[in-house]
Amino acid sequence: MDMRPAFQLQTVIKAMTDVVLPAVDPANKLAQEQAQLVVGMLSLLLQRLPLQYRYDRDELQRYLQLARELSAVRGGAQTQAALADLSAGAAAGAGVLQRAAADPAELEAAVLELRAKVGELIGAANADGEPASLPGLQRSVLAAAKVQTARERAWLAPTGFEADPKSITPIERQLSSD
Amino acid sequence: MLAIDKQNPPREWIESLRRQFPCEREIDRVLQGKLARRGGPGYKPIALATLCSGLQALLRAELREPFEVLEPQWLAGGASKLQMAFKLSWQRPGAGRTVTPMVLRMEPAESIVETSRLREFQLIKAMQGVVPVPEAYWADPLGKYLPYPAIVYGFVDGAAKPKASVSNVTGLGINFGPAARGPLGRQYVEHLAAIHTFDWRGAELSAFDVPQSGAQSVEWMLNWWARIWREDANEEIPLLRLAEAWLRRNAPPIDRLSLVHGDYRAGNFLYSEDDLRITAWLDWELAWIGDRHADLAYMSLHTLGHYSEDGGTYLQQGLMPMEAFLEAYEKCSGLPVDRAKFRYYRAFHAYRGAIIMIATGYRAARGAKTHQDLLLAWAMGLGYVLLDELREVLEQVG
Repeated sequence: MDMRPAFQLQTVIKAMTDVVLPAVDPANKLAQEQAQLVVGMLSLLLQRLPLQYRYDRDELQRYLQLARELSAVRGGAQTQAALADLSAGAAAGAGVLQRAAADPAELEAAVLELRAKVGELIGAANADGEPASLPGLQRSVLAAAKVQTARERAWLAPTGFEADPKSITPIERQLSSD
Repeated sequence: MLAIDKQNPPREWIESLRRQFPCEREIDRVLQGKLARRGGPGYKPIALATLCSGLQALLRAELREPFEVLEPQWLAGGASKLQMAFKLSWQRPGAGRTVTPMVLRMEPAESIVETSRLREFQLIKAMQGVVPVPEAYWADPLGKYLPYPAIVYGFVDGAAKPKASVSNVTGLGINFGPAARGPLGRQYVEHLAAIHTFDWRGAELSAFDVPQSGAQSVEWMLNWWARIWREDANEEIPLLRLAEAWLRRNAPPIDRLSLVHGDYRAGNFLYSEDDLRITAWLDWELAWIGDRHADLAYMSLHTLGHYSEDGGTYLQQGLMPMEAFLEAYEKCSGLPVDRAKFRYYRAFHAYRGAIIMIATGYRAARGAKTHQDLLLAWAMGLGYVLLDELREVLEQVG
């Protein structure tokens, strides 16, 4: 699905810079300043968004390291309880870090790669595939598209293009059914 | 799809697409131009003064008598082109010194639909007296005088939707209100019949290639959009590849070549709210010579309508149910409606619409090429609705 934050932010910043900011009343200093801050904050977000996940993972890794070092601390009951708490938290954090192995950019690239390869196969099969295999291919692609477009429509339902928005299953529910 | 840097498309890739997807010469020229500009700068806001000076250069080349451009102002509406309203004080042939309200319609650096201003200009001229259209004055099809290709036509009074109504950004789902539906619906059908029975062979339409009978027009049309899909798409959508193969396998022969408007819908005509008269049909840029069923099927897209007040009837274009449209059209045009072809073109339009909204809309906005990238991004929401409609149609036809 191509509606991704970096793309969305880019278009919002351009609209603010090219159209909205020049139209803000120069005499309204607060509005001028706030509008510029909106652009600044969105630009910062656009710049840092691709690094956000890596940043969090790096931070977790460093806190795990710190927790390991701090396990050498010795003390009374209060300290021991805190050490036990920290140790449990570090174990949970280590598990999270292990599961957070791939970068979001890698995830996106993998999806793009598979989309492209499926598309190529459809083109190839329609060029020289065995005719008997085409109905199965069509059934599979249509079934996959049904699930995919349901998610895409739900994701973008707030844009207001649905004739009957109530018929759309919320994206939260669709994703939690996985 | 991932191997090519589409923001800086290599020449050999462009040539391979041209070979793989031959289409009409003018469309080929326009699409090549789009890719040639793609690696260049994005769209930067253009001052009205800059636009006026380009307009004056065009007018100096066209007019012998002195003229004056008055009261220039931006017009809103539409997702694809920049529009400036102005008044021209000029020596009008046959009318003497006069002040005429006009519109300058110009492309941005890249558009959600990359089309030919020359085709649009020729068509508006050809349609004079056939259906209500603005008077076409001048064209700058290659951007010789203006920053980008443009046309100048007459300003027409009228509204695209009721003043009090609210519709989404592209003017879809307009509710004209119960009283307006009958009169507007009748004209809507009559005008479509007039377009489809128009003798285009006698008109100056040199920017259009005339297909042979059979399915050549369909082949050109599919090549046109399959090529755009490859030029513009960011991520592959397997459903579109499946649809393209289905459309090619099932291309129906054409019984009669008609002028096809290509974007015949509510939102693309102006009307007078006082007497409910359609005053102008606009946006002829997607027209081609082909099968009339394409315009009919376009009207049937679920996204181009809404439910009646009682919630029981779906009104295509906010005007009337689809079956009523088709019956009225057959009666008015004297042309039969082939239901199989109708279904075929419904699939085609869902396919084309998804390409426009998801691929070209994304690509133009990603390259910061338009005056309203944000609107293009927002309108991508419509693309996924169309994609699902395409899936439904393909499931129905098997």
